[in-house]
Amino acid sequence: MNQVGNKQNTFSLTKRLKRLKRDVNKWSVLTLTIVFFLALPVISIGVELFSGPGETWSHIVEYLLFQYISNSLYLIFFCSFLVLVFGVSSAWFISRFNFPFRKQIEWLLILPLTIPSYIVGYAYAGIFDYGGSLDMLFRQFNLDFIRIDIMNRTGLAFILSISLFPYVYVSARAFFLNQANNLLEASKMLGINEGKTFFKLMLPLARPAIIAGLILVIMEVLNDYGAASYYGVNTFTTGIFRSWFSLEEPQTAIYLSALLVAIIFALILFEKWQIRKVRFTSSKTNDTQIHRKDPNKPMQWLIFTIVFIPVLLGFIIPLSQLIYWAFLTASTVFDIKFIMLSLQSFGIAISSALITVFFALILIYFSKWSALRLVKNISRVGVMGYAIPGAVIAIGIMLPTIALDKWLIQTLKSFGIDSGFIVNGTLIALFYAYTVRFLAVAYNPIESTTLKVDSSISDSSKVLGVGNLKTFFKIEFPLIKAGVFSAVILVFIDVMKELPLTLILKPYAIDTLAVKAFEYASDEMVMEASIPSLFIIFTAMIPVIFLNKLLIKR
Amino acid sequence: MKKIILGIISLALVTACGNDNDQSITTSDSDKEKEEVVNVYTHRHYESDQDIFKLFEETTGIKVKVTNASADELIQKMKMEGEQSPADVLITVDAGRLHRAKEQGLLQSITSEVLEKNIPDYLQDEDNFWFGITKRARIVAYSKDRVQPNELTTYENLATEKWRNRILVRSSSNIYNQSLLASIIANDGEEEAKKWTRGIVENMARSPKGSDRDQVKAVVAGEGDIAIVNSYYVGRMLNSPDPEEVSVAQQIGIFFPNQNDRGTHINVSGAGVAKYASNKENAIRFIEFLISEEAQIIFTNANYEYPVLEGVEPAQTLKDWGEFKEDKLELTELGENNKKAVLIFDESGWK
Repeated sequence: MNQVGNKQNTFSLTKRLKRLKRDVNKWSVLTLTIVFFLALPVISIGVELFSGPGETWSHIVEYLLFQYISNSLYLIFFCSFLVLVFGVSSAWFISRFNFPFRKQIEWLLILPLTIPSYIVGYAYAGIFDYGGSLDMLFRQFNLDFIRIDIMNRTGLAFILSISLFPYVYVSARAFFLNQANNLLEASKMLGINEGKTFFKLMLPLARPAIIAGLILVIMEVLNDYGAASYYGVNTFTTGIFRSWFSLEEPQTAIYLSALLVAIIFALILFEKWQIRKVRFTSSKTNDTQIHRKDPNKPMQWLIFTIVFIPVLLGFIIPLSQLIYWAFLTASTVFDIKFIMLSLQSFGIAISSALITVFFALILIYFSKWSALRLVKNISRVGVMGYAIPGAVIAIGIMLPTIALDKWLIQTLKSFGIDSGFIVNGTLIALFYAYTVRFLAVAYNPIESTTLKVDSSISDSSKVLGVGNLKTFFKIEFPLIKAGVFSAVILVFIDVMKELPLTLILKPYAIDTLAVKAFEYASDEMVMEASIPSLFIIFTAMIPVIFLNKLLIKR
Repeated sequence: MKKIILGIISLALVTACGNDNDQSITTSDSDKEKEEVVNVYTHRHYESDQDIFKLFEETTGIKVKVTNASADELIQKMKMEGEQSPADVLITVDAGRLHRAKEQGLLQSITSEVLEKNIPDYLQDEDNFWFGITKRARIVAYSKDRVQPNELTTYENLATEKWRNRILVRSSSNIYNQSLLASIIANDGEEEAKKWTRGIVENMARSPKGSDRDQVKAVVAGEGDIAIVNSYYVGRMLNSPDPEEVSVAQQIGIFFPNQNDRGTHINVSGAGVAKYASNKENAIRFIEFLISEEAQIIFTNANYEYPVLEGVEPAQTLKDWGEFKEDKLELTELGENNKKAVLIFDESGWK
């Protein structure tokens, strides 16, 4: 092999071999071990594929599959479009211009994420319903109520978009805040106008960050169950539940899940292929704050309006509906216990956010330090879990952990100790589950920020004899901080509203706000669910505002 | 900034560990004193149940530990946990799921005179694997302006041309619709059931969506004339904290189909003792308590379900609708025909 390569290749190959020799034992082995544990639930489900689909597979193909595919694709395209419009425009305006209430809107734009999307769905249905809020409003002014039916797939796409666009906003903004300054200065010096700077320069550069957020949105859209089933839209996920529970065929459900994962994987590969030749890195440390422009007053208010629309649609409107319901039900539902419950949920969410981000960092950096390219690709397998509906992942978690528990019970028995489950039904299993489920949420924003950090910085540090870990803490971490904080916020919010995993795996003594909200909502007591939902929102707001301060202060 | 981050982390750990401690204290307590417990896996997420569990704890001193999730998820969980499953009691909101749990070997037969005597035969498993604890009926809610009650007769009649574009009903993923079709398969045969389903699909005023409550609202909004809904949702609407919902529910009439032949389709919430229950005696006492007079009164008054215990008066709202004849089909048949029902729904395009 050495003979065929030219000088350059020989050099890099020997270098690579040397690095491989140095690294393969440590970072690669560690990465592979961690990936193995994180991917274990997905693998456990995947193994089931070999037993073939259930007998109703052909029935599903004949009557339902077309519906699932067309609805899911419709949702993917519609949501991608809306999410990009809302997410990217708001991130750009926030980072680039000064306008009234900018600081408040900056964090308000994250908050739509704090309302579980099925609750947003219920809230909007409640607004447009007969006897709903709009109807009442119209009657106040003696107007005829024109009822708009939003419970269809377009309505669903709208609901999911306004509640999920912050994923794109957060990761695009992290890019704009961190990386944009030098480029903006250069473009300004060259006399290029604002629109052109954005479309020709910033947008292509921000693409990996935007796509990272968008992929999260698509995965969430695909695995949504609550809103889709309420709005009567049959998607892959409703199909998974139908074949698993109504048709009693877990294997068929697993086949559908595999198809779902294949779609996601194809999308990721397509994106990788699209940007294969372009690498976006910057060797500057960019500690300077982006310099914001001050447009004239009318312009400022126009920008305010544009940026305020997604906040209004995704947060203020559904929040108002929830507050109205909360007033109606306060006397029966409100309980001082909710405050304790909030603390508990907060503790669980922040701990799992930190654990998940920790593992995401480990995966990203260990695989970076490992010379094996294979390891890098394998580490991506770890994040696939996010596309699969939580209830299916829960099964994937239980298969290996119960096997472990049974083995532990057997082993302990031989020592004369009788014990129940040690991993299952404890916080360990729950944290493990959250890490598996939300790894992608942490991985994507962090990875997209690391892509922009030129490896020459860390390389020079290593040439000077500084170890990997020290280089990371002293040099890399400050550069990717924005991505890490964004990841913590996102995982935190996701855990706060997580449902199926929590329901199935949580210990008896633990209760979360999301579980409380679901207990009501699952049985058509939507109004009663508003109070625990409001507690979720307010508990989630605290770290959002706080971490956001850290993010922009530096 | 480091301090702030450290602050967050330590706060998080304190709260998380706080939880941990709580838990370890309770578990070690139970080890020391051999605290009496019953582990309940339940699909029912109602306040009424929590009140009843509390009452059970107070009267017997047995602690009720609840795991809440959908029946399907709980069944899956029990299956995987196998012999080590902590579950003592499984509660579902329909007989079909209980039948499925029995078929998969997750329940056991028990002897309890209280249960066998007090619960009517058709509401319990013939081998005593499970027992119904409350009843609900699948009824027709109609617009008082556009429909005369004497136009309504049977479920079968709803599939005739008379009701073209007038029927509102939710998705076929809903278990109550599946049970209804399963009962029609059991009563009329598969071919008739297929015809019926196709007829209903043709008669739908809109594509199925939303909850049972939404179907009732749509009748009042004029989207359709009749809705097929579960009795206790209408009961809940009539007693809703939202005055708008109450006024909606007051504008519709309630009709119990098939009064002149087999009776209106009913389903139960039911409970069974888990196969590997480690607290079997407590589990039986627990289920017996669920059908005691005091528990039945709470069920019907807080949740507008029909009591299974004879002699217990239904809630006033239910009494106002009058008495009705129930379809006394063995509920086991609902479980046996459930899958067939789902397949028929798909074939006929009932979303």
